[in-house]
Amino acid sequence: MDAPDTDSRHEVAGDRTPLLRIRGLGVRFQDFEAIRPLDLDVLNGEFLTVLGPSGSGKTTLLRTIAGFQQPTAGRIEFDGRDIADVPINRRPFNTVFQDYALFPHLTVRENVAFGLRVRGIARATRDARVEDALGIVELEDLGDRYPAQLSGGQQQRTALARAMICEPRLILLDEPLAALDATLRRQMQKFLKVVQRRSGITFVFVTHDQSEAITVSDRICVMRSGSIEQIGTPRDLYYRPRSRFVAAFFGASNILEPCRIESTGEDTTMVSTPFGTIRVDGPPPRVREGLALAVRPEALVPAAGDACNRIECEVVSVSFVGSETITELEHSRTRHVLTMKTRSDPSTRQPVVGSRLEVGFDAAACALVKGARE
Amino acid sequence: MTRNRFIDLPLAAVAMLVYVSLYLPILLIFLLSFFSMRRGKVNWDTFSLSWYAKLLENDALGGALWNSLLVGSLAVTAAAAFATSAAILVRSRPDSHSARLLEYVIFLPFLLPPIITGLSLLIYFREAGVGRGILTITVGHTLFVSAIIYRIVLTRLNALSRNLVEAALDLGATRIQTFRFIILPNLRMPLLTGGLLAFALSFDETMITLFLSGTDATLPVRLYAMMRVGFTPTINALVTLILGFSILLTVAVALAWRRNADSARMTSGEGRT
Repeated sequence: MDAPDTDSRHEVAGDRTPLLRIRGLGVRFQDFEAIRPLDLDVLNGEFLTVLGPSGSGKTTLLRTIAGFQQPTAGRIEFDGRDIADVPINRRPFNTVFQDYALFPHLTVRENVAFGLRVRGIARATRDARVEDALGIVELEDLGDRYPAQLSGGQQQRTALARAMICEPRLILLDEPLAALDATLRRQMQKFLKVVQRRSGITFVFVTHDQSEAITVSDRICVMRSGSIEQIGTPRDLYYRPRSRFVAAFFGASNILEPCRIESTGEDTTMVSTPFGTIRVDGPPPRVREGLALAVRPEALVPAAGDACNRIECEVVSVSFVGSETITELEHSRTRHVLTMKTRSDPSTRQPVVGSRLEVGFDAAACALVKGARE
Repeated sequence: MTRNRFIDLPLAAVAMLVYVSLYLPILLIFLLSFFSMRRGKVNWDTFSLSWYAKLLENDALGGALWNSLLVGSLAVTAAAAFATSAAILVRSRPDSHSARLLEYVIFLPFLLPPIITGLSLLIYFREAGVGRGILTITVGHTLFVSAIIYRIVLTRLNALSRNLVEAALDLGATRIQTFRFIILPNLRMPLLTGGLLAFALSFDETMITLFLSGTDATLPVRLYAMMRVGFTPTINALVTLILGFSILLTVAVALAWRRNADSARMTSGEGRT
């Protein structure tokens, strides 16, 4: 894992100034390296999601930014100023915790007011700002309830209002939606996005759910075992993954490897794979060794005579899952397996198990990525 | 399992026997503080409060009662401060060896035979040149009751989300503000429950106190001294009063315990609507 770093840097730049500059930041617990020295810029006003499986170091990264965890290497700059010596209670950002950490003995209103109260803000100003914040998160009517009397979503919104009350430049959110059921989660995702847009506050959001990351983020930073795997917009990561890991994480489950580059042109590359020679569109790869080809299951189409890449397969299984039909295919010659996802359609026949089927996909619908051997 | 009369009846008889042998002597003392007794029979015509009146005349008893209340309040206050700090420390670093050690040190005086605790303190104070009195008794009681308050406070701290402290700091509170606005309010009920329980223990404590009281006797120690001189009916009146007070404390503890459990449920979010 060496090549992509230079590239992610130039993505980070642009005309927006970074609010947070993280350089060479590392966290080590005795003999376990939770975060390997990494660089990251958080841009002013963006919704950045740190995405990764559990144990990838994403929560440690967030806790280090918040100040709960001391870094063992590197530095964090906020607005161009090193904040290593700034204690938690003086950092100009606030956190929304995974379990919300609402104060159980205080009402919603008192919870939200807490940040102003400890700063000695006068009661009249305080009350007005609390009402504003409650209005933003739509909790005006529940101000006198205690946290234990609220639903999960209401607790979540209380925690958000509490974090916003001091008008921080940056809010850190540690898997804040993990405890909610699927419907509520989707509502809250939209809600978070709207609040972030309207307030203009920079959000750094941690999650392990890739669909959530795609929904809410301006940019996503994918982490894996303490390192940043790739940073980019949701579309970048979805259509242009750089590694097999990112491709698989975003659902491009067909990985064709080993791959060998046969020839490269201006905008196309011919790649030899176990499934035959495949044409890939896009700029030529920077490295030529250790590559794999990632193809999204929904890019495969049955009996596509006009597609430039075609593979002769045998149908292994067909499962109807409502709006989609998932077909498992086996390459006729090498017995390699492919998955195809097609929109269910009552007028067309489902493929028959055991029958032969030629599937095709577009040259633009696949991506050359780093393979398993890195 | 069906209920069996041949088992239920003997069981009920045994239970009765236990209750009778436990409570009959207490009932007897209660009756004897009001009535006189002749040839094993209570003489119901002799109701009088004279023994209670005699108690009031006894200045030494008044002093002993005052000593008991004073020692109880001082010891509970000191133990609450000590136990709360210790519980917060242990909670903040549950895996450290020094925290484990601290926990043992707190529990030890409660588990040691009181005679050992009393004797060692006596020797220590003598060597240190501290005269026996209210101070030495208070130290002994503080050591003895700290474990109770510590346990109850720690249980509550464990039920609180560890993130509460981080959340308070994150919102700009200082360490002191975090303690005052976040931790302390959540410890109100456990401190009340633990304090009442500790006070009840201190009020009854005899063995350690015997070693540590000079001329300042507490109520149980005074009672013990009275019985050595001779058994007078005033003792019945005194025991009845102590008993009444202890029952009041027990009821108060039970009520506080229930409210403590209620507020703990609120804290851990089980009471969600």
